[in-house]
Amino acid sequence: MKREKLHKTTSFSISGAIIIFVLVLIALITLYPFIYTLAGSFNDGTDFEKGGVWLFPRVFTLDNYNAVFSDYRLWIGLGNTVLRTVIGTAAALIVTSCVAYAMSQRELPCKRFFRVYNVITMFFSGGIVPFFLVVNILGLYDNFLVYILPSLYSVYNMIVISTFFRGIGQGVREAAILDGASEMRIWWSVFMPMSTPVLATVGLWIAVMHWNSYLPTLLYTSKDESMWTLQYYLMRIIKDAALPEGDAVNENVTAQTISFAAMVIAMIPIVCVYPFLQKHFAKGAALGSLKE
Amino acid sequence: MEGKREENKVKFNVRHGQLAGMAGLSVICLFFFSYLPMFGLILAVKDGNKSLNILQAMLQSEWTLQNFVDLVVDERFWSVLWNTVGLNLLSLLFNFPAPLIFALLINEVRSKHVRKAVQTVANFPHFISWVIFGGIVLALTDMTTGVINPVLEAFGLSSPENPIDLNMPQYFWAKMIIVTVIKNIGWGSIIYTAAIAGISPEIYDAAAIDGAGRWTRAVRITIPMIAPTITIFLLLNISRILGNSFEQFYVFQNSANLSKSEVLATYIYSTGFTYRNYSTAAAMSFFEGVISVALLSMGNFISNRLTGRGLF
Repeated sequence: MKREKLHKTTSFSISGAIIIFVLVLIALITLYPFIYTLAGSFNDGTDFEKGGVWLFPRVFTLDNYNAVFSDYRLWIGLGNTVLRTVIGTAAALIVTSCVAYAMSQRELPCKRFFRVYNVITMFFSGGIVPFFLVVNILGLYDNFLVYILPSLYSVYNMIVISTFFRGIGQGVREAAILDGASEMRIWWSVFMPMSTPVLATVGLWIAVMHWNSYLPTLLYTSKDESMWTLQYYLMRIIKDAALPEGDAVNENVTAQTISFAAMVIAMIPIVCVYPFLQKHFAKGAALGSLKE
Repeated sequence: MEGKREENKVKFNVRHGQLAGMAGLSVICLFFFSYLPMFGLILAVKDGNKSLNILQAMLQSEWTLQNFVDLVVDERFWSVLWNTVGLNLLSLLFNFPAPLIFALLINEVRSKHVRKAVQTVANFPHFISWVIFGGIVLALTDMTTGVINPVLEAFGLSSPENPIDLNMPQYFWAKMIIVTVIKNIGWGSIIYTAAIAGISPEIYDAAAIDGAGRWTRAVRITIPMIAPTITIFLLLNISRILGNSFEQFYVFQNSANLSKSEVLATYIYSTGFTYRNYSTAAAMSFFEGVISVALLSMGNFISNRLTGRGLF
């Protein structure tokens, strides 16, 4: 009540209006690039070249999308990306939460060792060339597993999940112990079902990371088309400014408008999960910040 | 260890074994994908350049400091270092405060709907890959079909007869700074928003009764209250003075802007993967890692001394 009244006196001030104006401006600037892309993706390629397609398509066409969809490399990239996102996310969640469970328990032996061992890797890494060497030694070069195994475990995500686990409390675990459940069982059948908010948050982070990554294709494969991911395909279209290979490519499309269509296609899943991300991420990030 | 366990009167039992086994998963994963690569940095003091079997070269060739000498005499390396440090210092100047200011502004909005709408839009670019975001920015800055030139014309900075080619090297740094601010302003701010949400409203009410305006409340209450969060992020940012997002720079880089766009991350890539000078690239990674850890420790020490808080 009191608070409400106090703020009412300031809510119609000039400074308030300026703040809203600045924030709306920031929002428009961040939103606009996507509107531009959407407009371009539905516009005739040669017409787009003349410039001026800024908000809406001027000469509407679906040719750009047809051209992208007729390119077999899109489907390879999409297949690999979906596969690595689904498998990679599920596997990473299991491994990361398993470690998080153990790390959240006071009884874990050698806790100091585990903690130091984990934290060191947050501050020092070998870099891409030694990593390339390891990938080769492990036989992961040009192997689909190179998309899955290196991202199985992340220290940061482990800290976020274990912070949540710690909040569940000892009573739950002790009750399960009395029932004779093993630690694995307690983690899987008791803690996991109780932690859907944090698992959803971290799972979405991991999934987005998988969906957006193109580096492993560039660095750790021979760039054979069968290993392409969606983002790598996009990068080739954008950087090489090359027309896709497909029978629906005609003179009405350009590399530019086709790349717009491909970008829109690649953004659709992100747009679909975005409301969930938006709902959960602030909570998750706040959890992460509590770790220090 | 033994003594400690006896002290706590806890015997090592099956449960401890199970827990250790679960935590041990992290030991295995990190051993292969974090510690082995660190061990691989030995390449930096071996002669592995252009070798067909890197592992063999790493294990069998002579110990040498030649790779570091090569770097010091490489003019290219110094210009790359200048780009990296310059860009990251500018980034510290703009990209670090931007999310903080954004969070402070958001905090001043009373309407929940406006707040939510602005945050929803501003957070979105964070989840879009650099490939897509970079592709869009390249299109937006195009001389004929882009939007930036018409906007500059409206301000009298460009003209249709003589448009500015924003892909020229001299605009690269400004472009990178602006693009990073746009992509990260929303996401970067949520950590501050979360910290601000933890401040007790009573403090603001008390200040308001004393006649403190928006500005005073932000500067005298909000910022001091979230200072620990700000310190941590400042320390992390400073320690990354030699680090850039490879994914970001690789997308924007082309042969025309190379003089301004080559940073350590991309130079390591081209040295190691294009020219196959594995040892030279490893030497650069090692250099980057050492500087980063040194800066982090130094910043942490200073922060502990001055404010009594730090990362560790």
